[in-house]
Amino acid sequence: MPIEVVLLFAWMLVIAFLAFIACTFEDLESDMGSQSNPNSQVQLAAQVGQVNRFFNKAISGEPLSNAMYCVTAGTIAWLLLRQFEPLVPGEEWKAAVLAIPIGVLAATMINMIFSTTAHCGRVAGQKRFQQPIYLDVLYGHLIPIGAHAFMTTLCITCIAYIQSNIGTLSGNPALNHPFALPLLGFIWGITVGAIGSSTGDVHYGAEREFQDRPFGEGKRVVYHGKITRYAECGVRTQKDIAGFCAKFGGPVTGMTFGLIILFENWRSMVGMQLGGFLPALPAFTATGDMAAIFGIVLGLLIVAALMVGNLVFVKWVRKKYGPFVGV
Amino acid sequence: MTVTPAVIEEEEPTKKGLSFKFPPEETEMGLIAGIIGAVIVIFTGLPAVIKGVGLLLVLLWGMDSVRKTSKYGLGTGVPSIGVLGTGYGVVGALMGLAVAEYGRVGQLYPAVLVGVIVMGAIGLVSGVFANGEKFIAMKIPRLERAMMELGMAGTLAILLECSILTGSLNFAAVVNNVMNTGLIALLFIFNCFAMLHPYNACLGPDERRERTRICAVEISGLIWVLLGFAMIGLGTSPYGILDGVSMIVFGVIVWVVFFRMFIKACMDECYETVGTGMIKTIE
Repeated sequence: MPIEVVLLFAWMLVIAFLAFIACTFEDLESDMGSQSNPNSQVQLAAQVGQVNRFFNKAISGEPLSNAMYCVTAGTIAWLLLRQFEPLVPGEEWKAAVLAIPIGVLAATMINMIFSTTAHCGRVAGQKRFQQPIYLDVLYGHLIPIGAHAFMTTLCITCIAYIQSNIGTLSGNPALNHPFALPLLGFIWGITVGAIGSSTGDVHYGAEREFQDRPFGEGKRVVYHGKITRYAECGVRTQKDIAGFCAKFGGPVTGMTFGLIILFENWRSMVGMQLGGFLPALPAFTATGDMAAIFGIVLGLLIVAALMVGNLVFVKWVRKKYGPFVGV
Repeated sequence: MTVTPAVIEEEEPTKKGLSFKFPPEETEMGLIAGIIGAVIVIFTGLPAVIKGVGLLLVLLWGMDSVRKTSKYGLGTGVPSIGVLGTGYGVVGALMGLAVAEYGRVGQLYPAVLVGVIVMGAIGLVSGVFANGEKFIAMKIPRLERAMMELGMAGTLAILLECSILTGSLNFAAVVNNVMNTGLIALLFIFNCFAMLHPYNACLGPDERRERTRICAVEISGLIWVLLGFAMIGLGTSPYGILDGVSMIVFGVIVWVVFFRMFIKACMDECYETVGTGMIKTIE
């Protein structure tokens, strides 16, 4: 197998690994600041009389806010790369090593600014429910939020950088991604936020909030706020939640995103390989159709395998833990 | 005989320096921002800071429209309204740019306003469809007007940002400098956030319009700083590097002043600001 093809597959695996780390930290960041799904409980808690010491990070939905951090990081990194790359001809990676962390740092600062305005604004908007602003909660959560967001944004910006230069890195510049770095950051940011928002909020699921309920049963909305109040020992803050979720919820979210990236890239790469598209990209002819057909067939096979696996798994779970209460 | 009232009503001490009352009312805000924004969009030869002032006004207007649309009780849907407005904006801006060459006089591009007007009309129509008895019948008060203003404010904001970045509204220049470089993603997402974040962040029964607007101005300051960096990187401004540097300096000043003002307003107006403390139980 030619070295270019091997390198392409190797970079694909690097991207999948970075995606795993990115989404793990994304999920933990949303638990740390209660964005998207967990935010409903935090927002509701004060309104039903459950004053809490939680951080109300209502920047916006997770997909949008992650897109914002990644676009900011991507734009600043791209602007710096334009300045730095001519200084080190032949060794462009040196420019990237400097530019990407600076861009990500700027994005992290913007994240912390937006987090502050969101927390203060939401608490001020709940004056009549007697929820105070605890300054130690505000300051104490900002740095962990920023640290988790830094990891997410760094990984996503690295993915965008690798993708936009994947051809150059593996020896065939014709395979570079046609999109610019900020645009790739935007797309990846939306994706990582969407998956982090939909997967892995174990704290607000069966693992903690519905622990004492029969399998599949809900709770009255009035009691939902209780989860924000007391921990196993003392008053609960979100630093406890991040620790709790880091054991299962975060990694499982990362695995979801990593697997999506792995399967998606793997099937298109294998399709290109089988269609005769690699290592040299020919002019668009009938072989292009063949590459697409192979890729789509492989994708359908993967989807079918996942569906069967899910079916078997859910059947096993229902048998083991009893039927859903509502059904 | 003097009768003392049973309950002495405590007067809330008025807090100075926290209100931000320009202009005081929603209709006036729309008119002022719309007219000033449209004039600044046409004159593309102006320095970036003046275009930035227009951008600030237009984004305030957009935030007001988001607030108007969502105020009836929309909770998690607030961000989507902001994205809707910016989506209108990108489509309208492309439309305006496509016809920009017609009737051009030097650096004046009056034809781009076609995009603004068309997007206002589309917003109005979608508002009518959403609210109309025969169609979806959501019956949200004043939705038609708010949707129309969303479309117009979004389009003006994207056009102003394109004009700041490229120094003109020539279609080829905008495509080369804004679309192909990927900067359109930056414009899109920060327009969204300037419009949706203030109301989303201040949401709650005790939300106050002046406080929400302070947040909108603060985000506009951040956008100025980012646009300044992008301008320096692109190097397209007719005024040279000074244009970008002035954007960054004014942006930082605006951000610092209004961020302080917003946080101070929140801390003064919330139930209580304490260093630390235990949670209390309210029955």
